[in-house]
Amino acid sequence: MSGMKPVNTKAQLLTEAERSGHVEEVVTMESVAGCATTFDPGWEVDPFGGVASLCQPMEADLYGCSDPCWWPAQVPDTLNTYPNWDAGAPSAQNDWRELDAVFPKK
Amino acid sequence: MSTTSKAENTGGWALAVLLGVLAAGAATRAVAAVTATTGPADGATLVKTYCGACHLPDRQGTLARIGDERKTPEGWVMTIFRMQNLHGLQLPATARDTIVRYLADTRGLAPSEAAPARFALERRPNVPDLALPGDLQRMCARCHSAARIALERRDAADWLKNANWHLAEFPTIEYQEGARDRHWWREASTKVPAELGRLFPLHTAAWAAWQRHAPIDLAGRWLVRGDEPGRGTYWGTAEIRRTAADEYRTTYRLRFADGQALDGQSHAIVYTGYEWRGTATLGDRSTHEVFAASPGGRRLSGRWFLDDHAEIGADWDAVRAGRAPRIVLVSPRAIRAGTSTRVTIVGEHLGGRVDLGAGLRARVVHRGRTSLVLQVDAAAHAAPGYRTVRVGGANAADAVAVYDRVDRLDVTPAYAIARLGGGKIDPVAAQFAVDAIEEIPGPASKPQAVHLGALPVAWSIGPFDAQAAHDRDVDFAGRIDSRGRFLPAGAGPNPKRPFHADNTGNLEVIATLPPGAAGRPTAVVGKAHLVVTVQRWNTPPIY
Repeated sequence: MSGMKPVNTKAQLLTEAERSGHVEEVVTMESVAGCATTFDPGWEVDPFGGVASLCQPMEADLYGCSDPCWWPAQVPDTLNTYPNWDAGAPSAQNDWRELDAVFPKK
Repeated sequence: MSTTSKAENTGGWALAVLLGVLAAGAATRAVAAVTATTGPADGATLVKTYCGACHLPDRQGTLARIGDERKTPEGWVMTIFRMQNLHGLQLPATARDTIVRYLADTRGLAPSEAAPARFALERRPNVPDLALPGDLQRMCARCHSAARIALERRDAADWLKNANWHLAEFPTIEYQEGARDRHWWREASTKVPAELGRLFPLHTAAWAAWQRHAPIDLAGRWLVRGDEPGRGTYWGTAEIRRTAADEYRTTYRLRFADGQALDGQSHAIVYTGYEWRGTATLGDRSTHEVFAASPGGRRLSGRWFLDDHAEIGADWDAVRAGRAPRIVLVSPRAIRAGTSTRVTIVGEHLGGRVDLGAGLRARVVHRGRTSLVLQVDAAAHAAPGYRTVRVGGANAADAVAVYDRVDRLDVTPAYAIARLGGGKIDPVAAQFAVDAIEEIPGPASKPQAVHLGALPVAWSIGPFDAQAAHDRDVDFAGRIDSRGRFLPAGAGPNPKRPFHADNTGNLEVIATLPPGAAGRPTAVVGKAHLVVTVQRWNTPPIY
């Protein structure tokens, strides 16, 4: 990251971690079990540790996530695993209340 | 028809034991039915019947893939669901539950193998995930937790099949894993399975030893202690009765420190010889229990949580009642110098002289079978720090602390996730608690933190950063109540926000101990970071 100047806390931490060879730990500590650690732009948390850079509203692009299984641990993929998850809900922005969890409760 | 109905009820109960979703009213009927189900001996037959059509046996009769893996009970539930969802497996709920018991018993994890990732089984919220070494974190734990991997055992050849399955099922994994910039599949199909096979192999000395371990009978009388964040310490007794092989029915007599009862009943199956999974009613709440018995069968510890909100729950620690004097808990754990406080010592055989250490004078108010209630006067000049509590022949080191001021408040969790809810998806709350700390001079003049536990604080929220302030996250994301529980707002696009954004938020959670309460003229403040984010629809028992 030579030539780049850290401008926020996380970037500063990353810069320091890079010097000491602990970049992976920085990434890990930014997450809790059950949250995605891919931040492009992130499902729960954005690359900057907040939420302002997530897709907003999420529903506008939800089927753009479920179709290509982009967040498969959070969003049921309709490509292979749950092809009927969005049945009866053609518009995520209007019909998001109809979308149900996929793992059976009983 | 009645047979089918009974079978379905039974299966529903047994799976509910794992998933924690049983309606309280069905418990008695379900337990009566489950005791009549087939035992583990029939599990092998059912596996052959329902799994053998696709999974062919080798020369020893071991079915392909199934014999190459070991998992937790929850892991096997997830596997069977995947077979149902993807491969058209159809089987009655009773058969499914018997198969899960059989597989968890014969192809489970030893206690020491499951220990590092128990937090995932216990559904503990806001726990930093395990850190897998090297590239494994990026390869395997970007979508689901590393804990999920650490709760399985396979050899490299089977981990390779797992990698193949991921590529076939989620073909965009190549893009997500940066395949444009490296030979991703070459690494995913060589280095990754080899490393996973080394870290989490099928055959281990721990599992071999556990399979030779003598069965544990958990029946008996137990002393219980626990803590529910936002609610406080509780204690009491559990009477555990064995109703069938590895099945128990328990009666709880518990109460919180403020006196509110937490009595209840539980029905549990013990998988793999030590994995306690129960459904219970505690007070007016339906709960799910994920406990682990110690190898010697003298301790049962873990967490219970609400059926429909796993994020709300409590630590649980039970020790088998014995004949020796013993102190298991002192409540409250902190006494302010210069005050008189009602203190309860929980334990057994608590006869004899009571001594709480320097500066504390105790008067016995009540002696019960498992508790001793004291009125404790703390001298104004009592030195702050921990004390050893002694009652007759029992003692407990550092069981109570004296304090004269609070230097800081640690808010836990320091970093938390809450999720919006609405439609068919419940919100996920975030429960915060404080640990008040006084710092006193310690060895070598280094400050020593004396942990005082929870004190009454006022809770509030604020924007975490300038962006959150600009976006007015505080106005939209939800609210925090007087117990420190953040309750998220409703999901869905909000026309009142720019771009109709969801009610997400980047917040700080603020705990304030008012002036005077901290032994200081000014308030003491502690903070945590809370991200309020969107819902998830993929909700297996192990994330």
